[in-house]
Amino acid sequence: MKAAVNQKLTEMGERDRLKELLRAKLTECGWKDQMKAHCKEVIKQKGLEHVTVEDLVVEITPKGRGTDHCCLTSALITAPGRPPSTSR
Amino acid sequence: MKMEDMPLSGPDNTKLESLVHDIYSELVEDACLGLCFEVHRAVKQGYFFLDETDQESMKEFEIVDQPGVDIFGQVYNQWKNKECECPNCKRLIAASRFAPHLEKCLGMGRNSSRIANRRLASNNNMSKSESDQEDNDDLNDNDWSYGAEKKAKKRKSDKNQNSPRRSKSMKHKNGELGTIVTSEPYKYNFNTGISYETLGPDEVRSLLTTQCGVISEHTKKMCTRSQRCPQHTDEQRRAVRVFLLGPSAPTLPDADPVVENDGFDIPDGQTLMSRLQWEDSSDISPTDSASSKASTNPSDSRRPKKKKRPSLGLNSGGGGGGGGGSSSLTGGSSSSQSNISLSTKKKRPKLSAPSIPSIYDDLN
Repeated sequence: MKAAVNQKLTEMGERDRLKELLRAKLTECGWKDQMKAHCKEVIKQKGLEHVTVEDLVVEITPKGRGTDHCCLTSALITAPGRPPSTSR
Repeated sequence: MKMEDMPLSGPDNTKLESLVHDIYSELVEDACLGLCFEVHRAVKQGYFFLDETDQESMKEFEIVDQPGVDIFGQVYNQWKNKECECPNCKRLIAASRFAPHLEKCLGMGRNSSRIANRRLASNNNMSKSESDQEDNDDLNDNDWSYGAEKKAKKRKSDKNQNSPRRSKSMKHKNGELGTIVTSEPYKYNFNTGISYETLGPDEVRSLLTTQCGVISEHTKKMCTRSQRCPQHTDEQRRAVRVFLLGPSAPTLPDADPVVENDGFDIPDGQTLMSRLQWEDSSDISPTDSASSKASTNPSDSRRPKKKKRPSLGLNSGGGGGGGGGSSSLTGGSSSSQSNISLSTKKKRPKLSAPSIPSIYDDLN
């Protein structure tokens, strides 16, 4: 079912819209800057030359998930124009 | 439609919520990944740390967050209480008021000149209305105006009055009851009158010796043109004088013997003289007889008119006054020559005999 929902979302272009919306909201609440600062630290640790994408991802993603953005969930859900989930 | 709005059973609700949460986490991961790519590219391209300089500079320009100070560390109303000494008047002026004060003090700004001009104009106005009219004799001819601004308007309207294009019907006399009023007389009178009620008897007398003074019906103001103003007849002037000063009023002035004729282009001075002789002897109309009582006024010459004649807008020229259409001239007046030249330019409706033969008698 999840796959179906996902597919539906992508088809309708809703997914992209949600993505953009989320990005905007994250920047707005400063989450992005926080993450960037973290990145800087990581880079300073690892050294400027040898940083890879994977390093960053590994470092950032859990932190990104963990930081307080759960409030955004509801915000995203109640975002205007969100279509109802059709499949059940 | 919102999820909460949908009618959901319990288990469906949680399923839906978990679903939503999953979708949300996916989106967040995407965002993180996007950020990582961005940072990594910045690092590899070398612009990631561009906004950071050495530690010293960083410390120097750190954002300040103290009360009473802006983020640069500057006090924002530092100059509010400071006072500067004006180099011109040597006064202590508050800093925020310094620039406007300097503008007025030095008299150099745009505003200050405007204010000064306005003040001058109003001062002139005040002083002029009280000063002796005789002193401004030469200036008064067609130039006396109620206010400085109206001067330009008046002169302009004067110019228009005399253009040859003006139709005969337009040249009606003003200040006369039952006159067909066009817009021009209105315009003309509006700017160039004074109210006789505000003046004392001496002022009125002095005014009347230099100016036409005929009271306009529309505005109740005295005409401020010269004694030979083309819009009013001598009869009107005399009537005004009687009205304002009593029956013993001084008679109308008439210095130079200039009289207008109807469309009579002077071909020959000799013919003119003979014609003048004839005109001098005859008193044509009853209105003329009235004006014959008028005595001469030494100050201004005046052009007489008959009532029937349409008023001719003529500016008085130099000494002799402006010629009307053609002017019948008394002999021996140098101004008559100028009048001839003036009159030849204009064709006027035929005038009956001029109404000031008696006045000329006095001169002759």
